[in-house]
Amino acid sequence: MGKPKVAFYWCASCGGCEEAFVDLAEDILKVIEAVDIVLWPVALDFKIKDIEKLHDAEIAVSFINGAVRTDEQEDISKLLRKKSGLIVAFGSCAHLGGIPGLANFVNRDKIFDWVYKNAPSVVNNNGVFPQKKTGVIEGDLTLPEFYDTVYTLDQVIDVDYYIPGCAPPPDLILKAIEAILSGTLPEKGTVLAPDRALCETCKRRETKPEKAAIKEIKRVHQVMLDPERCFLDQGIICLGPATRDGCGERCINANMPCRGCFGPTSRVVDQGAKFLSALASIIDTNDEAEIRKITNSIVDPAGIFYYYSLPASMLRRKLNV
Amino acid sequence: MSGRIGVYICSCGTNISDNLNIDGLAEFSAGLDNVSYVKVHKLLCSEEGKNFLSDDVLKESPDRIVIASCSPREHEKTFRNTLQKIRFNPYLFQMVNIREQVAWPTPDKSEAAEKAKAYLRAAVKRVAFQEPLEKKEIDCNTDVLIIGAGPAGMEAALLLAKAGRKVYLVEKNSFIGGRVARYEDVFPKMECATCMLEPMMDEVMHHENIELLTCSDVQDVIGFLGNFVVKIRKRAAYVSKDKCLGCGACYEPCPVTVKNELDYNLSNRKAIYIPYTGALPNVPVIDEAHCLRFSSKDLDICREAFELGLITKEEYEMFRKKDCTACKEACPFEAINYDEREEILERKAGGIIVATGFELFDPSAVPKLGYGKIPEVYTSLEFERILSQTGPTGGNLLMKNSKGPESVAIIHCVGSRDKKYYDYCSGICCLYALKFAHMVGKKLPSANVYEIYADWCVPGKDNQAFLDSVKQGENIQFIRTPLPVDVELNQDADRIKLSCIDVSTGKRELIVDMVILCPAMVPAKNSRMISEILSISNSKEGFFAEGHTKLAPVSTNIEGIFIAGCAQGPKDIQNTIAQGAASAGQILSALVPGRRLELEVTTAEIDKDACSGCMICISLCPYKAITLDRENKVAVINEVLCKGCGTCVAACPSGAATSKHFTEQQIFAEIEEVLK
Repeated sequence: MGKPKVAFYWCASCGGCEEAFVDLAEDILKVIEAVDIVLWPVALDFKIKDIEKLHDAEIAVSFINGAVRTDEQEDISKLLRKKSGLIVAFGSCAHLGGIPGLANFVNRDKIFDWVYKNAPSVVNNNGVFPQKKTGVIEGDLTLPEFYDTVYTLDQVIDVDYYIPGCAPPPDLILKAIEAILSGTLPEKGTVLAPDRALCETCKRRETKPEKAAIKEIKRVHQVMLDPERCFLDQGIICLGPATRDGCGERCINANMPCRGCFGPTSRVVDQGAKFLSALASIIDTNDEAEIRKITNSIVDPAGIFYYYSLPASMLRRKLNV
Repeated sequence: MSGRIGVYICSCGTNISDNLNIDGLAEFSAGLDNVSYVKVHKLLCSEEGKNFLSDDVLKESPDRIVIASCSPREHEKTFRNTLQKIRFNPYLFQMVNIREQVAWPTPDKSEAAEKAKAYLRAAVKRVAFQEPLEKKEIDCNTDVLIIGAGPAGMEAALLLAKAGRKVYLVEKNSFIGGRVARYEDVFPKMECATCMLEPMMDEVMHHENIELLTCSDVQDVIGFLGNFVVKIRKRAAYVSKDKCLGCGACYEPCPVTVKNELDYNLSNRKAIYIPYTGALPNVPVIDEAHCLRFSSKDLDICREAFELGLITKEEYEMFRKKDCTACKEACPFEAINYDEREEILERKAGGIIVATGFELFDPSAVPKLGYGKIPEVYTSLEFERILSQTGPTGGNLLMKNSKGPESVAIIHCVGSRDKKYYDYCSGICCLYALKFAHMVGKKLPSANVYEIYADWCVPGKDNQAFLDSVKQGENIQFIRTPLPVDVELNQDADRIKLSCIDVSTGKRELIVDMVILCPAMVPAKNSRMISEILSISNSKEGFFAEGHTKLAPVSTNIEGIFIAGCAQGPKDIQNTIAQGAASAGQILSALVPGRRLELEVTTAEIDKDACSGCMICISLCPYKAITLDRENKVAVINEVLCKGCGTCVAACPSGAATSKHFTEQQIFAEIEEVLK
C-alpha cells in the first residue's frame, strides 16, 4: 500500500496558512516522508486534471485554507470533497471566514467600485470592470465569478475537522497530522484545539481583578501598554475571554491584545455577540449618558467584535448595504 | 429528546375561542413533529379541568406536555402543581400564551390564527429539548442579624430574643444605646433617658439569645430570606470583656490626651477610654489611631511634652520605642491584651434588621450661622451633652468659660424645610427645642431663652400640652422668622449678636451668650455603603427606602431585610421603638421554625472543564452567588444562592455558564420556529 495522499489548497487567503506549513521547519520533512502530496499550488506544479483523474476518496485528507468567495474556489472545494476521505478547514478564513469575511459588511459592487475605480491609486477612465467572460481574438478569456458574499468552507462543502488560527500554530498542525496518520481523531466536526477560552492559559490572568471595570476604552496606539497587566483591565479591547485557546498567546506575548482568530468555543454560536455581551458587562457605570459615551468611543465595533468570524456568525453579512 | 408530546388547548370559556378557531389550531398541532395527541378543553384551570388534565396525562402517558392557554403568569404554577401531583415532572411542560398574546390583542382572525400556530410550533420544538428538573429545599434559618444597637435595634433584639430567636446584634461603637443614651431628659414628659434605657441595655447585654458584637461592622452579606450569610469585621478593642470590671484604673496613666469625638469633641479622653460615664458595656477600648503602641502620630506631642519638661526622658524614650504599657501595668485584672487582632466573623441568619440611625446636617455649610467659628454656637446633639450629667460639664449648663449663659437662642429648622438643603421637616426639632427651653429655665431660672422658629410642628396626643406648658415660662420669648437658616450670627466681644427678621416687628437684633442650632436629621454617613452591601434601595434623601409608605413602612425591596428607626427617616423615640417592634414582628411572621425553603430550580451552572476563569461573571451576579475557585481557577456558582436570573449565562464569553430550563438549544429552537 502506498503512502496516504494529501492535498493542500488555498481559497481566499493571504498565503499565511501556506507559510504555516513551512513553519513546521524540519518537522515538515517527517510529514513529507509519511505522505504523498498530490496537490499544493503554492509549492508544486499539479493540475486540476490530475485531481479529476483520482478515484473518489482516494486522497486521504485535503487541507483547505481561505474563505470561499469565487465560483472557482467553490468548484475546487467541491472537487476535493469528492476526492477526499477527510476535509480539514485550515486556518481562520476557511474555519470562520476570517479577514476576507469582513467584506460581508459591504457587497461586490462596493468592492469593485473602490478597487477598480475610486481608490486614489487607480486610473480607470473607461470604467472597465472585471467580467466573467471577455472575448479576444484568440477566443474567450474567463475569470472566476466574484461572489457578493464571502463563505466559510463549511457553508460550501461538508467539513470534517477544523484547525483554527491566523495562521494555525505549528504544534496544532503537527498534532492534527499525527492524529490523522494514527487514526486517533475525535468526533467529526471538532475544532482541533482546546475548548476553553484564552484566559485559561494567559499569563496576564493573575493581574485581572475580580471586578473588571472599564471607564474608558482605549486603542493600542493611544497608550503605553503595560506588558504584564490584563488588557481589559487597561481599557484595551481583548477578545481573549471569547476566543478559543491553543494559539500559544503569540499576540499577547508580543504585547498586543487578542483579536479572536481562533474563533469561539464549541458552546458559543456567535463570538462577536458573546464578546459584546461580556464587554457590556464590565462597563463601569450605570449612567445612561456615560454608558453611551464609553460605547461610542469604540471605533468600528462590528469590525472589532467580528474581526475573524463575520461569515460564520449569526449575522453572516450586512443587509441593505 | 422527546417522541411523545401531548398538546392541550384551552378555549378559556370563550375568551380564546371567540377570536381563534380552536379546532383548526388543534388540527395544526396534531400535524407537528413528535406530537402524539391534541386535546381541547373549555376551562383547563377549573377544578374539573385540572382533574381532566391529571387523568388524561396518566392515561396517555406523554413524555412532554404543551398547554396553550393564558399567560404563564396566570396559571403556569397551577399546571405545574397539577402535574407535580401526578409525578409528571413540571419542567417537561411548556405553556403557550394564546390569550393575552393572541386572542385578546390580535383582532384579525387570520392573523391571530397564524400567530397562535407560530407559538405552538415554537413550544412543541422547544419542549422536546426540555429536561426534567428536581426541586430542592433547605432548612429555613430563623436567626436574626440586627445592625445598630440604638433604641430600634435593641427593641427588636429583645422581642426576638424573648421569642427564642438567636440574635446577632452588631454595633459599630464600643457601647450600645445609640444617641439616646447620651441624652439627659426626653420630651414630652421629661423622663431621664438613661434611666429609661438602662434596664433595656442591661437586658440586651445579658440575654442568652443575644450575641452582642460591639466595635463591629457588617462587611458582606450574601443570600436571601431564610438563608443569609454575613461577614462581620470585629475590630480589636484590646480589652477583654470577660476580665474587665470597668474600674477605670487604666485611664489615668495613659499619656495620650485627645478630643472625645463621641462626646462631640466637648471633652477630652485618653487613648484607652470609655466615651462617657455610664456607657454600656462599661469596658474601655484602646484607640489604635492615638495609642502610642499602635500609632506614631502622637510621638510629636510626646517630644514636645518632653522638651517642655512635662514628661521625663525615660518616659519619652519608652513612648518613642512604642513600648508604652502604662495601661496594662495599671490594670488590676490583666484585662488588657495588646495582641488582640481584628477578626472576621461569619454568622448565618434568616432575616436582617437595619437600624443604623441618623446624623445631623452639618451647620457649617451655612457660614452665616458661624458654627465651628463662634465657640458658643452648638448643635442640638452637643447641647444634649452639655445638659447631661455624664457630659463634659457634669450636667451644669456652662459655657466654655465655665460661666452660665445669661441668654440662650435656639434656632429651629437649620437645613430642613429648605429646598437648598433638605426639603423635609425632621418632625422632632420643635419638641426638643421646647425641651431645651424648659431645661435652660430649670437649670438657670434667670436666663432668657429665645426660640427662633418658622412654624410649630407638635403633632400627637401629648405634645401640644407640652408646648403650652413651656410657653408659660416667664423668661421665654418666641420669635417667628420666615426662614431660620437666614439668621445671622456674629461674635460680639465675648457675646453673640443675632440678627433676624421677626415677622411681627421686622428686623431684629439680639445679644445672646449661647446659640443652639436644630439641624435637619440626615442619613447616617455609612448608609450608602450599607445599601450596597445589602442591595437595599435608598430614598432620594439617602435614608433606606421602605417597601410602601403606608402599608410596608419597615420592609425593604429585599425580602427578609427590614428597616427600623431613623435609618428609615427622621422620627422620635416612641416611633423608633414602634418600628423596632414592627420589624421584629415581620421577622417572626416571615421566619417560622421548621419551615423549609424551596430553592430556585432553574439555576445557572458553570462547567468547570469549560470555564477559563476570565471572571467576567463574578461581579455581575446580583445575588453574589459566584465565586472564583482559586485553586482550579474557575468560577463556581453556589446553587443555594443562585436565583436563575441568567445574567452570567448571557455574559459568559466562552459559553461555560448555562441556564437550566433556558439552554441555548431550547431558546434557539423556540426562536427559529417563531420566525419561520
